[in-house]
Amino acid sequence: MAASKQTKLLAKQLFKLSLDNGAVAPDRVAGVLGWVEKHSPRHALALLKTYHRLVATELAKSRALVEHAGPVSDVTLRQIEDAMTRKYRRPVAAVARPNPKLLAGLRVRVGSDVYESSVAGQLAALSAHV
Amino acid sequence: MSNVIEQIEQQIAKLSTKAVKKNTGSIRTIADGVAKIDGLSDVMYNEMIKFPGDAIGIALNLEEDEVGCVVLGDFSQLKEGDEVTTTGKLLSVPVGKGLLGRVVDALGRPVDGKGPVESRETYPVEKIAPGIIVRKSVSQPLFTGIMAIDSMIPIGRGQRELIIGDRGTGKTTICIDTIINQARINKVGLASGDAKFRPVYSIYVAIGQKQSNIARTIAALEAAGALEYTIIVAAPAADNPANQYLAPYSGAAMGEWFMENGLDALIVYDDLSKHAVAYRQISLILKRPSGREAYPGDVFYLHSRLLERAARLDGKGSLTALPIIETLAGDVSAYIPTNVISITDGQIFLETDLFNQGIRPAVSVGLSVSRVGSAAQIKATKQVGGKLKGELAQFRELAAFAQFGSDLDAKTKATLDRGARIVELFKQPQLNPIAIEVQAAVLWALQKNYFDSVEVKNVVAAANSLRDYLTTRKGALLTAVRTKAALDADLEAQLKAAADEWKATFSK
Repeated sequence: MAASKQTKLLAKQLFKLSLDNGAVAPDRVAGVLGWVEKHSPRHALALLKTYHRLVATELAKSRALVEHAGPVSDVTLRQIEDAMTRKYRRPVAAVARPNPKLLAGLRVRVGSDVYESSVAGQLAALSAHV
Repeated sequence: MSNVIEQIEQQIAKLSTKAVKKNTGSIRTIADGVAKIDGLSDVMYNEMIKFPGDAIGIALNLEEDEVGCVVLGDFSQLKEGDEVTTTGKLLSVPVGKGLLGRVVDALGRPVDGKGPVESRETYPVEKIAPGIIVRKSVSQPLFTGIMAIDSMIPIGRGQRELIIGDRGTGKTTICIDTIINQARINKVGLASGDAKFRPVYSIYVAIGQKQSNIARTIAALEAAGALEYTIIVAAPAADNPANQYLAPYSGAAMGEWFMENGLDALIVYDDLSKHAVAYRQISLILKRPSGREAYPGDVFYLHSRLLERAARLDGKGSLTALPIIETLAGDVSAYIPTNVISITDGQIFLETDLFNQGIRPAVSVGLSVSRVGSAAQIKATKQVGGKLKGELAQFRELAAFAQFGSDLDAKTKATLDRGARIVELFKQPQLNPIAIEVQAAVLWALQKNYFDSVEVKNVVAAANSLRDYLTTRKGALLTAVRTKAALDADLEAQLKAAADEWKATFSK
């Protein structure tokens, strides 16, 4: 069921309460979940789904998901972390995830930004131009 | 030397491993051609969005946590969770003379099976209208070939003239006649080798129409030899609302190319009522707040920004717009009609009653107006048609009054007789525009009382006979009227001689 306007508004308010210095704080999230469980507001399922989306979107902004086809060293991950932290002016933690479909190279995803440096990406770009 | 090679190789290596940044999002919901997308943090308003399977969308709603996007084309393969990317480009369509004679969709892709469109340039679909400084006042005529319009409600190059009326009153026919007339004038003008001659290219935008109607229009233009000077942008009723919403803007972009390149163009939007309905549909699905008649608040801006793009530019060309609005039961005070009436520089109102009485084109002279006025008329038309509107208004007033009484004085009877003859004279079959010089000659004959002795029921036949006589036997005289564009004493004498000659043959 799609969330109503009121549900979306409440989810946004709960999400704002979950932030500490602009970052999602686990203890506050736990507090919010506790409040929802205790008071069971209307359309709790839609509310929690909307809240989940907002928190996940925010967390994705502080995480650099590094997809790689071959091995990737810790040094490379730290370099990516540093570069992204500088670029986005917020602490960004790198998380590695193997993805053989990339063939070779890396793909880094921070929030909705994707940095494509893989062979699969280049082949896709090439095929789009042909 | 090898050092230099190494440097180049290093540069190549740097370039080849350079990461490409993309801004992505994922489809949260998709329904009725509208997708709600998560992500796309860098998206711009009206930016093209790339969907899987080469589908394209336009970002129309930028909200705090989602983007509302209309999908152009087939969206049946798209599903929740599909990744989409921004393109950094605004929607553009191909423009140029390569599109003439072609039928394209709202994105400028050919749909006539004649192969790819030959076009090197593209123009953005949405563009800010020309400002005040670059504009020039409308003073050059654009002949429709319809006597009632050219003589009483003249249209100028760069003008916006609304064609309004109920369904089946001949709105599209007037526009098709105008397009055909431009083609005829173009052929004569280009063949004459006159360096000052400025051809008018036409763009016909079909919005929400039946495919059969569009096919009929194309066939009519082709049969009249007008398709080679015309671009047809088709967004039929079967097309999705997003394409119907975009089609007039695409057509305007194609017209702007002619205007920007020092050429003149005419664009017909057939029709803006259906365009507003398509936009209402999109807006309601995007959950924008609705207002009067459930239209969104910016429905006025929807049409004003489109029609403001029609202009005559200083030192360049012009774009003349003929938007069409369909009324319900003659109600011109409805929301969309009043909006477009206030935007345009005049309107031609077509009445169902006149149409049913056999007065075709069913132009209501009392309710029709051209705010440009006689500035967009040649002198010859002004000379012969200056009093017509007043005479017809007098006729209508007296005709209503005369219904209640049987005894009429001679002056009233003369006014009624003359009015009835003018009404008959303006009857004109469809797809048969009349050249301006022939119009001037026929109206001159009317002013000189050559039709007074003809019975009212025979006026149409007499006018046809005079036109045939002039075109077949007095070609040189008509050419002189066209080139001089004014009736001097010499031309009037020649016209008198010709009319006397015709009168003798017609009476027989």
